Amino acid sequence: MKKFRISPPVAAIILAVVLFLLSGLLPNGYGSDVDVAISQATNIVRLAVFLGVIAAGQTLVIISGYEGIDLSAGSVVTLTAILTYVIVSGENAMVIPALLVAIAVGALVGFINGLGITFLKISPLVMTLGMSGVVTGAIIVINHGNVSGKIAPIMTRVIARPVAPNIPIPGAVVIWLLFGLFMWALLERTTFGKNLFAIGTNRVTAKLSGVNVTWTNIGAYALAGALTGFGGFLVVGNTGVVFIALGQPFLFPAIAAVAVGGTLLSGGKGSYWGTMAGAIVLTLITSLLTTMQMGESVRRMVLGATLLALISLYGRQKSFRQ
Amino acid sequence: MNVSLSARNIVKRYGGVVALSDGNLDVQSGEVLALIGANGSGKSTLSKVINGVVVLDGGQLLLNDKPVQFSSPQAAKEMGISIVFQELSLIPLMTIADNIWLTREPTKGLGLVDRKIIEKKTLELLSLFEGTYETVLSPDTVVADLPPDEKQIVEILKAISFDPEVIILDEATASLDSRQVQRLFELVETWKKAGKAIIFVSHRMEEIFRIADKYTVLRNGFTVGSGEIKDVTENDLVKLMIDKESVLDFTRDTYDEETMNQKPVCLEVNDLKTEVLAGVSFKVREGELLGLGGLQGQGQRELLLALFGDIPFKGEVRFLDESVHFRHPRQAMKKGLALVPGDRNREGLLYIRSILENLLLPSWRKYGLPLKMKKSISDANQVAASLNLKMAGLQEPVSSLSGGNAQKVVIGKWLMRSPQLLLLDDPTKGVDVGTKGEFYTLLTKLCAEGKTILFYSSDDEELLGLCDRVLVLHDGKIRSELIGDDLNKESLVSASLGVTNGGES
Repeated sequence: MKKFRISPPVAAIILAVVLFLLSGLLPNGYGSDVDVAISQATNIVRLAVFLGVIAAGQTLVIISGYEGIDLSAGSVVTLTAILTYVIVSGENAMVIPALLVAIAVGALVGFINGLGITFLKISPLVMTLGMSGVVTGAIIVINHGNVSGKIAPIMTRVIARPVAPNIPIPGAVVIWLLFGLFMWALLERTTFGKNLFAIGTNRVTAKLSGVNVTWTNIGAYALAGALTGFGGFLVVGNTGVVFIALGQPFLFPAIAAVAVGGTLLSGGKGSYWGTMAGAIVLTLITSLLTTMQMGESVRRMVLGATLLALISLYGRQKSFRQ
Repeated sequence: MNVSLSARNIVKRYGGVVALSDGNLDVQSGEVLALIGANGSGKSTLSKVINGVVVLDGGQLLLNDKPVQFSSPQAAKEMGISIVFQELSLIPLMTIADNIWLTREPTKGLGLVDRKIIEKKTLELLSLFEGTYETVLSPDTVVADLPPDEKQIVEILKAISFDPEVIILDEATASLDSRQVQRLFELVETWKKAGKAIIFVSHRMEEIFRIADKYTVLRNGFTVGSGEIKDVTENDLVKLMIDKESVLDFTRDTYDEETMNQKPVCLEVNDLKTEVLAGVSFKVREGELLGLGGLQGQGQRELLLALFGDIPFKGEVRFLDESVHFRHPRQAMKKGLALVPGDRNREGLLYIRSILENLLLPSWRKYGLPLKMKKSISDANQVAASLNLKMAGLQEPVSSLSGGNAQKVVIGKWLMRSPQLLLLDDPTKGVDVGTKGEFYTLLTKLCAEGKTILFYSSDDEELLGLCDRVLVLHDGKIRSELIGDDLNKESLVSASLGVTNGGES
């Protein structure tokens, strides 16, 4: 007999729908107004895009296993957002160069993370946490605390507005779907993706099967940094302003989104579709807490506790590594 | 003080595997009993039962003629039974003194550890092996800094530190040099005089005849003989250890040395050295199935790993008339080598990943970008079918397979690359009888196709049944090379144990 199992991404989507329906019952929820409900749902998915893209890098390093994690993601988002802001300075023509710089700088930070983890054998937690401090310091040094710049009109047009006046799908959502397709291809249709799952499951087997464990691992961190840099670019395209604490609030929810999406925190198993579903769940929880009109400080506490509960719940899946 | 220990009809099963069917032994005050047997005969299991490390499934232990049951090693210790393990039970980052007195630290008031007494007692113990140390040993030396022989000595000191009545030495001499062995044997003599009973588990015949008074031989989990050492010879013991009737029912082609010698050399190894191997040289010709024999842990594993580029080595290796020195398995793999490692789950498989991904792991690069999945699936299906792999589907995880089928996946992932030289590290361990037969057929077939196989097995029967030529390793060296008529059970076991009966050494 085959056991009936729901795959984690599907479970996360079901959770999201249930949470959304519940949010309608709140005193100041959308109630029975379908139009409001749809626009609210659209808005939540739009907000989930930024968390989702930032969680992509996290997905890669968590799949790479052996306590893989990227705690520098928050500060990389801030750094690349500021760089984008400064480089673009309101010029449409500078958008592509800014995007490339954001990706390259993110990749560089990730590459250094990877070198430290593989060659200096620093645990990913310590390495990336230290890197987070370095990047934050670098932001302050470069900008002396004040930044002048501006995003370009085309960024707002593509990222924040609907695709077309009569189609109410935000541009960011379309970008996210294409991005999801890219991530799926990367994980499931490239040698790198296959090797990444292999090193996350068992590095001895991987090495004895001819996988270059070291460079696959470094590649995972560098790529994660690049994807986070892209995340920073998108974030500033949405907010239109930058500040030093811009990226940090994304960090912990991103890790939680990966876990909720069914990626094993011990590595070797997972998908980006799951992370996308997880990002929607996490965004919903945040908006739910806002709708409940909690004070900022209480909201932070509740959110933190919820994230811990989710991670501990999902982190309990047994690793089959022996 | 008199002590006696008897084991009666001991049975021990691990899951479905019977490790011990009928284990018996008797030992008394002032005696050294040698416990002897080939690989997997149940020696270690019997000593673990006596020491309380494993709980017996049947039979009885008698201490001073009274039935006893040990639920833990601690319980056995309290009754005065102590064991020196071959795999060390020391904590590397703690000092010698801390290791020896762990859980039994002498204390003064308020439960504080009395460092002075510990130091004094440790110095007394260390003085027992005075003069055999290369390094300066003090109670504060950290165990991790010691060479293997001195670690073994600390292990011995730890076992005797609480003055036990029965001492089990499980391969305790394996890593000691001759001076240290001499000192240990002098100590054993004093323990005998003090009325202690000693059980000596060893593969070294020479030592057994030097120190033991009595012997007990185990074979396939049964006690098959015991008596006084003075009544037997080395060859008598070897014969007892061998099961005459069970030689594999598998016919190999008659070995024609001349035809074989005309074939080109596939692999030539000259003076290969690693931490474990002390200079190994040999040649294998194309289409040959060369066996590696010997007791476990004599360097067979290291030889295969070094050839595959997984561990560093010194020496010269020529593969297909080309000098090679692989530094990563990837390089070896590209040249046409393949390794089936000894520990299937830890080294051979991605346990939670699918059968498909396991089969294709070394080969993904051949399938382009994006990966041609249809092609990879049909290739994998082809190999799975040729191996008669029983599975629910390629997408199922490897963890859903039985041991034999999982091993087929490990072999299958290399067959997908059609390698020239296969290095096999005990590939039939934990594999059911039916699948073993399939492997034998497969190996013979591969050789007939011109592939070369280097095959280590812990099962002597397999080597005898399959190989034309067997190199027997002992202490990191090739002890003897057995060909044709010289290749029989007796010569194989003798060579493994380091017994020299007239032949070359």
